[in-house]
Amino acid sequence: MHFLSSKKLFIGVALLLGVIAYVVFHKPLEKIDYSSQVKPILNKNCIACHGGVKQKGGFSVLFREDAMANTKSGKPAIIPGSPETSEFIKRITSKDPEERMPYKHTPLSKEDIQILTQWIKEGAQWGQHWAYTEIKSEKIPDYSSSWIKNEVDQFVYQKLKQEHLSPSDEADKSTLMRRVSLDLTGLPPTQLVAKRFLADDSPKAYENLVDDLLASPSYGERWTSLWLDLARYADTKGYEKDGSRNIWKYRDWLIRAFNADKPYNEFIKEQIAGDLMPNPDDAKYIATSFNRNTMTNDEGGTDDEEFRTAAVMDRTNTTWSALMGTTFNCVQCHSHPYDPFKHDEYYKFLSFFNNSRDEDVDLEYPLLRQYNSVDSLKLNTLVDWIKTNASPEEGKKYYTFLKTWQPTINSLQGDKYINGALLGCTAGLRNLGSFRLKNVVLDQKEQLMLRYNARLNTGNVYIYLDSLKGKLIKTVALKSNQTPFWKLQTIDLPAISGTHNLYFKFHNQAIPALDETTGVRFDWFAFGTKFPGKGKPGYDDAMKSFSELMEAPVETIPVMVENNKDQFRTSHVFERGNRLVEGAVVTPDVPHILNPMPADAPKNRLGMAMWLTDEKNPLVARTMVNRLWEQLFGYGIAETLEDLGSQGIPPTHRALLDHLSWKFMHDYQWSLKKVLKEIVLSATYRQESKVTDGLLKKDPMNKFFARGPRVRLSAEQIRDQSLAVSNVLSSKMYGKSVMPYQPEGIWRSPYSGDVWKKSQGEDQFRRAVYTYWKRTAPYPSMITFDGGAREVCITRRIRTDTPLQALTTLNDSTYLVMARYFASRINEVGGVEVNQQIAKGYELMMYKPISKARLNALMELYNTSYTKFRNDAKASALMAGQLEKPDKPKAASMVMVASAMLNLDEWLNKN
Amino acid sequence: MRDDNQTRRLIKEAEQAMLQQYTRRHFLKDGAMGFGALALGSLLGNCWGNSGSKKLFDAANPLAARPPMFPGKAKSVIYLHMAGAPSQLELFSYKPELAKLDGLDCPPSLLEGKKFAFIRGVPKMLGPQAVFKQRGESGLWLSDNLPHLATVADDIAMLNAVTTEQFNHAPAQLLMHTGSARLGRPSIGSWVTYGMGTENNNLPGFVVLTSGGNNPDAGKSVWGSGFLPSVYQGVQCRSEGDPVLFIKDPKGMDRDLRKASIDAINKVNQEQYSEYNDPETLSRIAQYEMAYKMQISVPDVMNINDEPQYIHEMYGTQPGKTSFANNVLLARKLVEKGVRFVQLFDWGWDTHGDSAGNAVDIGLINKCRKVDRPITALLLDLKQRGLLDETLVIWGTEFGRTPMQENREGKKMPFKGRDHHAAAFNMWMAGGGIKGGTSYGVTDEIGYNIVSGKTEAYDIQATILNQLGFDHEKLTYESQGRNFRLTDLSGKVIKDILA
Repeated sequence: MHFLSSKKLFIGVALLLGVIAYVVFHKPLEKIDYSSQVKPILNKNCIACHGGVKQKGGFSVLFREDAMANTKSGKPAIIPGSPETSEFIKRITSKDPEERMPYKHTPLSKEDIQILTQWIKEGAQWGQHWAYTEIKSEKIPDYSSSWIKNEVDQFVYQKLKQEHLSPSDEADKSTLMRRVSLDLTGLPPTQLVAKRFLADDSPKAYENLVDDLLASPSYGERWTSLWLDLARYADTKGYEKDGSRNIWKYRDWLIRAFNADKPYNEFIKEQIAGDLMPNPDDAKYIATSFNRNTMTNDEGGTDDEEFRTAAVMDRTNTTWSALMGTTFNCVQCHSHPYDPFKHDEYYKFLSFFNNSRDEDVDLEYPLLRQYNSVDSLKLNTLVDWIKTNASPEEGKKYYTFLKTWQPTINSLQGDKYINGALLGCTAGLRNLGSFRLKNVVLDQKEQLMLRYNARLNTGNVYIYLDSLKGKLIKTVALKSNQTPFWKLQTIDLPAISGTHNLYFKFHNQAIPALDETTGVRFDWFAFGTKFPGKGKPGYDDAMKSFSELMEAPVETIPVMVENNKDQFRTSHVFERGNRLVEGAVVTPDVPHILNPMPADAPKNRLGMAMWLTDEKNPLVARTMVNRLWEQLFGYGIAETLEDLGSQGIPPTHRALLDHLSWKFMHDYQWSLKKVLKEIVLSATYRQESKVTDGLLKKDPMNKFFARGPRVRLSAEQIRDQSLAVSNVLSSKMYGKSVMPYQPEGIWRSPYSGDVWKKSQGEDQFRRAVYTYWKRTAPYPSMITFDGGAREVCITRRIRTDTPLQALTTLNDSTYLVMARYFASRINEVGGVEVNQQIAKGYELMMYKPISKARLNALMELYNTSYTKFRNDAKASALMAGQLEKPDKPKAASMVMVASAMLNLDEWLNKN
Repeated sequence: MRDDNQTRRLIKEAEQAMLQQYTRRHFLKDGAMGFGALALGSLLGNCWGNSGSKKLFDAANPLAARPPMFPGKAKSVIYLHMAGAPSQLELFSYKPELAKLDGLDCPPSLLEGKKFAFIRGVPKMLGPQAVFKQRGESGLWLSDNLPHLATVADDIAMLNAVTTEQFNHAPAQLLMHTGSARLGRPSIGSWVTYGMGTENNNLPGFVVLTSGGNNPDAGKSVWGSGFLPSVYQGVQCRSEGDPVLFIKDPKGMDRDLRKASIDAINKVNQEQYSEYNDPETLSRIAQYEMAYKMQISVPDVMNINDEPQYIHEMYGTQPGKTSFANNVLLARKLVEKGVRFVQLFDWGWDTHGDSAGNAVDIGLINKCRKVDRPITALLLDLKQRGLLDETLVIWGTEFGRTPMQENREGKKMPFKGRDHHAAAFNMWMAGGGIKGGTSYGVTDEIGYNIVSGKTEAYDIQATILNQLGFDHEKLTYESQGRNFRLTDLSGKVIKDILA
């Protein structure tokens, strides 16, 4: 390595300092820019002790108002316009080590001091970090070059010129086709699409290919895989026994949304607040399952409020990291150490999420109840009847109640158990046992519907007002223990006003008082008004429909439903992030440095979703465009997808990011397909990825795009393309998650009877996006290729390269089975000779002829294998596997070759 | 084989290319900040500067051995976790006063404001269900349930006053191993391999072995890598089936054929490299070569058949079975081969008293019989090999058990059991620079609360890192805008037990 010798280095530094000194002291100075010049100095040197976490000496440089305020010394440290009298400057220039700042650290450089001095002289104005400023239409750099194909290239070309780099040529057609197909659909192109493109020499050929790929149903599956990481989607609940959760319809909703190119603003709005949109249909409810992918804890004795709060915090953090590329977690405990978010702003934002009905109960209420088609018709008829005979509002109320069983009070809210206990999320009482239901609003409540099971067949429940010795307001004779196990029963209530505690006591005279059997278990309680429209024609039928629909067989999925006003939760700041130390009361709001809530936005989740998707929101479009870029190029324009803030890695092409973000919102009306199309049509994307030593030295990570992206494929892409080339990939879309082959002994959760039950038939060969995802034991090859457990939002997968990955694609039975099918395929279509077959196999993979060196290497493997298998019938049969083959040694040898081919670097990468 | 030279050359080339790229990246980064520390220095020396964390991870060679922050006493760790929480009152915590209260109603003062996993109403006190004696020169109190361990009492530093905030298994295990009761943080072993890499490239750096029929309650998250790159997660090795997933070649393929296939793959990859010049291709060539070596080295180290008879007798091992004893012997073999962190979980210590197997006077004794001998053998065996000084052994669990008898749902239980107890329990450490024969921390007369020497999960984590040569406050990784560390915002090294 030939770095500068230290002497040369010294001279170099001295010269450099000289130049800086000259520039600083002799040239008329341009105004100092806070974000690009001052903030980095403060972040690096000052903010650890004088920021959002610590304010030593009563001084902080995070916000201007704090920096201008009196410090502990009694006067401000920064006097705008007067660096000479500013303590701040005195301290950083002091010679006394006890005085000099940064304390016990390297002193600031002369040029840093000069920048800070001039900045104070100019009035010490705080500026806004780029990512928090409104996205503006950028001026497109004006370059002319035959290389440039669209606006993306103008920006990239400008940077290349600045860096003294030149772009690469376009990749060959086969390579480019495979790259763009894997990028857009997660799969290699079908033979049909490939044939058409390779034969098409027209100037529009590539664009037509891109249009075909964007229109393919595989497109939605590929982008859903990405979103599932952000949505921390899993088929299980997370903690301890990590039981199943039926939430796959949300995954299907995503596939449909991506395929329909649902505008990104709508896409987000429905996931955050679909339930609060006018007249939500099932799809809008299912969209909100996005936020029901948080974990729930069923373990006995856990504090459900603790885990409910954890889920609410998770939703807050996910909204910021996944949708706004901002690290908000740290604001839980204190103001953001580097970025201008205040401690209480976290809780104001959290309170948008703090009034949903879910309470960490193990039945996962609230659930969307999906009826079969007959019952759906019945529901529509019933709701129409109520609308006509009562009021539209009543109709809506009943629709919501039948679809979600909300609003109801979970037994979880009970306490003061005597001879009873909270069992899971149900209230269990023994004979003469009782419990209390707190703070029930009884104004205008004419009746109570209860869900319970009476295990002893009989018995009464007595309901007392305000204490066990209080007024008996109702005696309920429990229904028998026949099917259905869980009973619904509605009772009339006397008119009572105000908010009261209700005591529920169970008594069965037929059994001894001390019997230890649990006599009744309550699930939930719904207080409401009587069924409307009494006396109107059809009333009895409507009542009957209602009862039937309440108990009709349904499919369910956890969704978001908002609390009604009776159940409203007040939100507090948690001091230092501890939920047990409640600080000031807060109401929903957004951080002050960002765009304000739109004028017509309500202060709830829907309003927050409107704020997110407002064109003035500086983060949402940038975050998504940056993420799309990362998916195509391997790194984002700003590498830290999860942090566009001042501690993130600054974007290499900020203007390009803003330009695309602007177009995304305005020209493209939030269409993801249109942005993707613009990027993949650019000359930047189409470049070949070969790299010279010189370029590798100048730009090892390809941050300036002087070559095309060469990136290892994702776990999903690797599986899916191997299934595809082996000709066994199932084209079946949607439905319950599947369990492809997995070795024994991966699932060993305690207290759980769940087992990995291998799926049958084509379900063995579905795309990876449909694989059952168990959080505490994820599918091995997904994890080995850098997938995460999805306990919380995964904003970015960090690519690694390990021997365990090699072992997976070499030895996982799934890959062996694929190699057999692949061998069989090339045997069928590849002609007579072995070398023809291998060449054909390579063409099926890479869409181009095999090179001589490659063919030789693979032929050698074939021959070595054949020499071995020719004399070993048993080994041949084992290797050739299940498929009927006349010549097992030949078949086995070709499996060896096929397996090797599925392990090639060029196969595991997009090139 | 004929291709060995070529392979060796390729690997060398790969390593050089990585090195160059690595250096280049550092140079660019540091250079841009104004010719700070020369990049070469930070590559050759240790890289624990102010901006530390990100530099540690090099995707091209993430497990390369790296020196710690300061010379540590221990080079590797064996952590024995008894999942389910064994009763300290029948093992380590000698409480004669509790015997006097046996069968009496629990006084209300102990119940006020407390929440239990299963105890409801007023439970009865339950005296110790084991006989205690003082052992060794140090006079450490150990019960008769652990007769073998009693012989090595003077090697052990007992922590008498460990406490946690969590009284449910999964979150308590997570807190103990990741520093957070919620899912999503890296485990100790991940932090350690991230900090130090590993000494044997043919074996994983962080190995996990489980016994007792189930994984721990918190699942694989207790050896997960959280926000660290997934390469740092624990690799679960199994004593039945493939020791590491997919380590075995398909049936019908012998080693020569495997070699031939890897050679073919690497030859094509070399061709690919000559066309594209991408250093990642060289890295892949190296990984395939390493996978080939692991296929020999992993089953080799996981095979205990060839251990001498006296070793089998010492540990109580039976080759071919999944047992805690086998896992303990494997742990010794693994650290001997340079594996950095070996984590054992033994499931089945949740002694509620709802069945004989879960009774503190029946099931617990049976569990003790299965672990007492191998654990003792481990300490003796490490010592006779001169490895105990550089191997830190930790015996632990997620919480303790109540001095009251459990009365689930307010009912009398069929057997003697104890409920979860977070406030006070025992753990111990040995080897790796720990002072044997010490005892740290005191609990009250019934083992309910701590009197002095309070020890939290964070303190244990800080001590483990310290023994390996890390300041737990400085081993950090930036995630979501914050520098995270294993010990969160707490943790102090337990100096009283250090040699």
